[in-house]
Amino acid sequence: MTYFFPFQLPAANPQVAMLAAVFVGFGFGFVLERAGFGNSRKLAAQFYGTEMVMLKVMFTAIVTAILGTTVLAGLGLVDLRALGDTIASDTFLWPMIAGGFLIGVGIIFSGYCPGTSIVGMASGKLDAVLAYFGVVVGQVLWAEVETHGAFARFHNSSALGHVYLYDLLKVPPQALAAAIVLVAIGAFLFGEKVERMVTGAATDAPPARRWVFAGVGAAGAIGLATLILPASGAARPVPAATIAAPELARRALAEPWKLRILDVRPLADCAKERVPGAECTPLETLKKLDLAYVSPSRDLVVVSERGLPEAPADARAYGGRVLLLEKGFEGWREWALAPAPAPAPSAPEPEQQAWRLRAGIRSALTGVGAPPPPAPAAGGGAPVKRKAGGGGCSG
Amino acid sequence: MRNPDKYWNPYVAGVAMGLVLLAAYLLVGKGLGASGPALRFATVAGEVVAPAHVAATPPLAHLAEEPSPLSNYFVFLGIGTLLGGFVAAYTAGRMKAGVTRGDTAPLGLRLGLALGGGVLLGVGARLARGCASGQALTGGALMSAGSWAFMFAIFGGGYAAAYLVRRQWR
Repeated sequence: MTYFFPFQLPAANPQVAMLAAVFVGFGFGFVLERAGFGNSRKLAAQFYGTEMVMLKVMFTAIVTAILGTTVLAGLGLVDLRALGDTIASDTFLWPMIAGGFLIGVGIIFSGYCPGTSIVGMASGKLDAVLAYFGVVVGQVLWAEVETHGAFARFHNSSALGHVYLYDLLKVPPQALAAAIVLVAIGAFLFGEKVERMVTGAATDAPPARRWVFAGVGAAGAIGLATLILPASGAARPVPAATIAAPELARRALAEPWKLRILDVRPLADCAKERVPGAECTPLETLKKLDLAYVSPSRDLVVVSERGLPEAPADARAYGGRVLLLEKGFEGWREWALAPAPAPAPSAPEPEQQAWRLRAGIRSALTGVGAPPPPAPAAGGGAPVKRKAGGGGCSG
Repeated sequence: MRNPDKYWNPYVAGVAMGLVLLAAYLLVGKGLGASGPALRFATVAGEVVAPAHVAATPPLAHLAEEPSPLSNYFVFLGIGTLLGGFVAAYTAGRMKAGVTRGDTAPLGLRLGLALGGGVLLGVGARLARGCASGQALTGGALMSAGSWAFMFAIFGGGYAAAYLVRRQWR
């Protein structure tokens, strides 16, 4: 479980998580209904230009949530990238465009999107029941074929991982948020103009609209202001993100292409032994890596001697996530290079798995483990001293 | 006092929806969504009707392997959505069994398109890894590039097909 906000509910408690889900869903359903989406004609009207409710509600909701997250991130209360990595799905560009097109056609055919059909059902509408039944059928249909041949190739094509607009445009999220506010207000004014042209009615702007526009404008400006505050970037109250040795080992084996491991200990120590795949980049040479300008697609892991309270300034310049190895190389040595007693056979499966990974890593790095080593090097149970060139470093 | 034709101002509704989304992000660590439970329901039903087929279909087998496929955040979110929609419709005086369609639209056409459109929604949501709420709203507000491409594609699809089915809304 990733935590990125100080007031996040404990996900470990299933009752709390379940109750929270029902509460959030209640709010979602209530607002959808009051906005008029329980009525399929109201949603369909979007595409005939008579009433652009879908554009207004959806875009306002997106703008509100963007402003909320970026302002909190600007104040150092939220890790925006961790939030996105946890909640948003990876980008599969072409399948998403094709899926979006199908959903657009599905919306105008059925008058619902999956969320609003639930609300339509709750208001007693038979067409909504059929639409949601269709969603079930459609999901199963695609699930049947998505692992076969050409379908599978397309389903998994253009997998770009997590891609964020602020990375693509290379601007701070708060600046992008302010720009999105302006685009949204422009889109709303344009939408209202189309409504007037199509219906011929002169709709006067209700005061509520002015309040909303003023509110999102002000929030956008506050977001921008957090960029100007010099303190916000430097003195973040949130402690730097860390990664524990077992998780680092798992990721270094499972997805090494998503990690870049920098060992900032003195060159001699790093040359002697290091985390597999780590680069030896003593603190004073970090500047030369120009981390601010390299692609932020990989997570940066900083390995120090005993763990750092916060990332080195040169590493903080990196655009992507920066993780500090907990307890530094000491922690790694303790976990990966020292022998660990096997858990009792009755121990729960996760514990067994964790031990297998640990024992496997240790035997790979030290040569101690499953097959007894031929040399007398394994004498006693003492931690094995390795010569340079062992392990995954240069071997 | 209650007027079933009176809805919230769309901008105010949008802000309210954005706050619900923020609460989901920050307090629960999840987004919104509605299409996910559909496949879980189908998996549970499939396990009763044709367990061998479920086991042979990887996406369904994957869900069936969970100890209880229905004990999932998005299923409870869906239950909440249903409750919230019910309370809102009831208190606004909009709780009425029927079929929403254009004043002169044939009933059969409307019901057929509702079902057919639903199938397209289901396929699209599976392809795009989320529906209008799970992908466009949730990912869009996190500024995920794929979600924004998806959002424009929704509007593209809707406008492209609107002319074909105008009869059911008139």
